[in-house]
Amino acid sequence: MTYLFDPDNWEWLWTGNNFRFLFEGFLVNLQIAAIAIVFSLIFGLMLALLRISNRRLISFPAGIWVDVWRNLPLIFIILYLALAVPDAWRQAYSDAIPDFFPEALQDELVLGALLGLVLYNSAVLCEIMRSGILSLDRGQREAAASLGLTYFQQMRFVVLPQGLRRMVPATVSQLITLNKDTTLVSIIAIQEVVRHGSSVTGAGFFGGVQAPILQVFIVIGLMFVVVNLALSRLSRRLEIRERRRTGTTMKPVEGLEDQVALQTDTT
Amino acid sequence: MERGRRWHLIAIAMLVLAALVLGACGDDDDDDDGGEEAAQVEEFQSGTTMAELQDAGEITIGVKYDVPPFGLNNPQTGEPEGFDVDLGNYIAERLGVEAQFREATSDNRIPLLVDGTIDLILSTMTITEERDLEIDFSEPYYIANGDVLVPADSDIQTLDDLNGRRVCTALGSTYQETVEKEAPDADLKLIDRYSECLELIQNGSVDAVTTDDVILTGMVIQDDSLEILGLEYTTEPYGAGIPDGDTEFKQFVDESIAEFIDSGTWQERYDEWVGQYIPEEQQQGPPTMTLEEALKLFPLEK
Amino acid sequence: MSELWEVLTEHLPEFSSGLWVTFRLVAIAFVVAMVVGTLIAALRVAPVRWLNRIGGVYVETFRNLPLLVLLFIAFAGLRRAGVPISPWVAGTASLGLYTAAYIAEALRSGVFAVGRGQIDAALSLGLSYPKTMRRIILPQAFRTVIPALGSLVIAMIKNSAIVGASLVALPDLLKETRQVQAETAQPDEVYFWGAVGYLLLTVTATIAFRYLERRFAIRR
Repeated sequence: MTYLFDPDNWEWLWTGNNFRFLFEGFLVNLQIAAIAIVFSLIFGLMLALLRISNRRLISFPAGIWVDVWRNLPLIFIILYLALAVPDAWRQAYSDAIPDFFPEALQDELVLGALLGLVLYNSAVLCEIMRSGILSLDRGQREAAASLGLTYFQQMRFVVLPQGLRRMVPATVSQLITLNKDTTLVSIIAIQEVVRHGSSVTGAGFFGGVQAPILQVFIVIGLMFVVVNLALSRLSRRLEIRERRRTGTTMKPVEGLEDQVALQTDTT
Repeated sequence: MERGRRWHLIAIAMLVLAALVLGACGDDDDDDDGGEEAAQVEEFQSGTTMAELQDAGEITIGVKYDVPPFGLNNPQTGEPEGFDVDLGNYIAERLGVEAQFREATSDNRIPLLVDGTIDLILSTMTITEERDLEIDFSEPYYIANGDVLVPADSDIQTLDDLNGRRVCTALGSTYQETVEKEAPDADLKLIDRYSECLELIQNGSVDAVTTDDVILTGMVIQDDSLEILGLEYTTEPYGAGIPDGDTEFKQFVDESIAEFIDSGTWQERYDEWVGQYIPEEQQQGPPTMTLEEALKLFPLEK
Repeated sequence: MSELWEVLTEHLPEFSSGLWVTFRLVAIAFVVAMVVGTLIAALRVAPVRWLNRIGGVYVETFRNLPLLVLLFIAFAGLRRAGVPISPWVAGTASLGLYTAAYIAEALRSGVFAVGRGQIDAALSLGLSYPKTMRRIILPQAFRTVIPALGSLVIAMIKNSAIVGASLVALPDLLKETRQVQAETAQPDEVYFWGAVGYLLLTVTATIAFRYLERRFAIRR
């Protein structure tokens, strides 16, 4: 116990560049999460539309695709893609990414990480969106159809706006999981917070203060907890607001119990 | 209260956004440290790797980020430092370009070179015939020896003693096979990075770490309750990793290494990174082994 | 095509040993998660404020913390502090404690589904709080949350890969896959079989829980 609180073990925190270095790494994680959620939403929506299609020929393969990606470990997917993504794509990424992103994100291996995160999370978000859309009263679609709206118009003006609005809290909640998942990209040597943490612990070599693993990773953990707690509060409030506005809530999405901050506050 | 809480959330959201933006802006691209223009930078035939690199203005080199004294990411500067890094900078200077470093672990360095993410490997990589199938090597630029690290009070004295004990080494290193040969009953723990081996031996999860003596020296410097047994049971010539078949680039790298040695820079860097930490009698000079000889040390098994 | 089978036949021992390690890791962690999760859930629904708080802190901490960071803290940190845990204990405990937070939340909603009325009634009949929980509430709550438990088991199977990749260094399916890849350098084939291994586990778990659902679940 004394090891935990011994001030010597915390000295590294205010010495030199250590904290800033950790924080910069953490920003990389957040930025990766931000990019990933945007693309995951786009692809998730596309997948969801495929999934709810009336044609089995479309919805069935889409369903298989989603189920496969949701059942594989994300770290497994990331490791594979780091090896399998063709160089041409990586070059394209490296050229396309704007300069104002930090160096760690300019790294072309980030594409493999992003692809992995997007493939996995778009499958999850697809299920969230599907649930949001399906939770919409059937009557609405039928009413829209009877008003003479085409399928696309029904989707665009009636179903999607309401269905998608319902899934905002769940999406914010998924963003929390995504934040945590960005630590997995450290396995392919992208310089984010976990790698920076390991570097800080090894920096005793350069003379200077020894930074023990326990303390360094407690600090890293705190960074995540703070940001994620804020997001989870946000998610809960959005959910309560939605419930008040429309009087209905989204059905709990099956298979997403590993999400944070959903639907459990009935008090 | 409702309104107050909402402002709370907005404030947090703004803070996070601000941090993200500041974080992005705050990272200036690394200033060009190669202020000293290389005396003469050769012009190269177009179509060669060298010319391409010169056009790009940079060479991407894979180094270790957690293995002092050869490659270690320094949190104070955010840049890697070490013997491999210095050699990399030297080669880059000769080419007249900037050196960009990226982390290359024992496991991923060859795939990274093969698919073009990096242009050169300088990652404490031992020359073996098996690796030579996938990539090319330069002439050896350093000779390390395999050794074993144990806590000072350990009863492990010889390779044989490793049998039945937990031994740590890196996934993808030459030691994976070597240990299976020399101590087949050893319980081998494979990790991604040597810094994890250090942590494992420090907290008692493994009884020994085996890898190149220079890497072990880096560990002893960080924790002097560990000691190296001094077995030197293998010879590990380090070579730079070059894309397969690129003979002109190999020639350039070989020349650069030769100049690195002849100009005395090798000795200077050695003294700074390795020499000052080990006793006189163990110090060495530049390698005299040739690539051919090195390849014979780790022949293909078939 | 023949390459695909070759990779499997030549490396079947590695893949199957990895699969077995993953299975054991998840099984033990599941037990830990259920036990701890139940305890925390009980704390969370207790009529005592500060017990709720403690449970709440546990849940919020573990749900907002990345598993990889938790592994570093638990394994490296605890050992440095002098607690001699082995990699197996560290791996199963971390995975178990991490998942316990989610199980606690699932159970909590299960308890609410059962209804506060039953709790109040039992207490007013003179049953102690622990007895109420054990005999009346939790059995029903468990049966309500079987589907949720099923998907948490699947999440555990996926998270087990993180344990293997961390410095805990257990030779699980992912680690074996990477080792075979290091030997053969055929990522597509090797990772294909690794994926098959994981899908085997998750599909088995899904089927098992569907069965349990049919037999035991209460739908509310």
